[in-house]
Amino acid sequence: MSADVSDLSLVRRVQRGDKGAFDVLVLKYQHKLVKLVMRYVRNPAEAEDIAQEAFIKAYRALPQFRGDSAFYTWLYRIAINTAKNAVVSRDRSPIEYDLDRNNSEESYEMQGRMKDAETPEGLVLTDEIRSTVNTAIAALPEDLRTAIVLRELEGLSYEEIAAAMDCPVGTVRSRIFRAREAIDRRLREVFEGGLGRTEELG
Amino acid sequence: MNEELDSQLSAMFDNELPAAECELLARRLSRELQLKARWGRYAVIGATIRAEGGARLDAGLARRVNAVVSAEPTFLARPARQSANQLPRRWRRPLAGIAVAASVAAASIFWLRFQGTPQQTTTLVDASGPASTTQDEHLMSASLGSPGSYVIPKRAVRRSIVPATQLANYVVAHSEFSSPLNRRNLLSALMAAESGTAGLSSGSEEPTEDVYDDAKSAQ
Repeated sequence: MSADVSDLSLVRRVQRGDKGAFDVLVLKYQHKLVKLVMRYVRNPAEAEDIAQEAFIKAYRALPQFRGDSAFYTWLYRIAINTAKNAVVSRDRSPIEYDLDRNNSEESYEMQGRMKDAETPEGLVLTDEIRSTVNTAIAALPEDLRTAIVLRELEGLSYEEIAAAMDCPVGTVRSRIFRAREAIDRRLREVFEGGLGRTEELG
Repeated sequence: MNEELDSQLSAMFDNELPAAECELLARRLSRELQLKARWGRYAVIGATIRAEGGARLDAGLARRVNAVVSAEPTFLARPARQSANQLPRRWRRPLAGIAVAASVAAASIFWLRFQGTPQQTTTLVDASGPASTTQDEHLMSASLGSPGSYVIPKRAVRRSIVPATQLANYVVAHSEFSSPLNRRNLLSALMAAESGTAGLSSGSEEPTEDVYDDAKSAQ
């Protein structure tokens, strides 16, 4: 199966004039893109601005996207270039981070910087979301938790997870779906509950 | 919500749904807010597991991008047109080359024909005189001298008679459209030319009377 098939079907819809499909792509990749841009700028709000600019550039350039590479790879390049240009234009030196490194110490340092610039309201919501998701994952049955972590953290395909867990691909699909459902049930309560921010995900 | 639909949504989020199902679900996903909200929460779950807190985990960024994109002009099925044009575009350059070559060849043929006609007419007028042979020899040598030419002029003796007859037929057939004075001058010139030729070349292909007979039948 093509690694980019669902993204490509959404991209084709955007290219045919369906702006709602682009919204779906933004929802999927916004967090990844902000994290990527934060390798170049310190301020989370600035990183969001650059990510926003990258998304808009991508939308405008989408008619020229032919699907030779994966959509995210293409978007990634746009975001990197946008971030570099932003850094140059603001006369700041970029923070050099190795893209492949996943150092926990580095991660804590970055989170600390992020919190400095974050608004209290945003922090409360973000912390509550994080806490809810982590609690829900901890409460999952072992096989569901392993499947969703292998998928989301390790980025393995269903076939690779099936090989790792020694089960059919269909079972992997079912386990990941059930894990998401269980977490989403809790998460929905956060968004629809006390903070009243349901519309923010829509 | 339908469990099968949710299962498809989860698989699509992971790029693990077959293409045909993706097409159908992508259409629903871009339109149904509830489905889109669920998709957004799936993204939040993944971001939390990967510790991609970023600035915020809500969809403030997505909302802002959506606001800008909504104000942008809508694409009008450009990719379909592009994909339809991709194959012809590959052939466009060679086809253009062939078209240019064909045009040049056609133009050359017409030019050569056009060049050939007045020379034959000139020969016709001077067919009876001794200069005609010299001129034809000149034409022959000119033709042979130019390697690009594909027209070899005929021998002077044959051409001095046959084109004159053809021209006479033509003139008589269209005499009703020409002025009487021009017609008379041209016909007398032709008669003089043919009588001279008949006198010079015995056993010529077309007798003078035949010319008038042909002319009458053409009328």
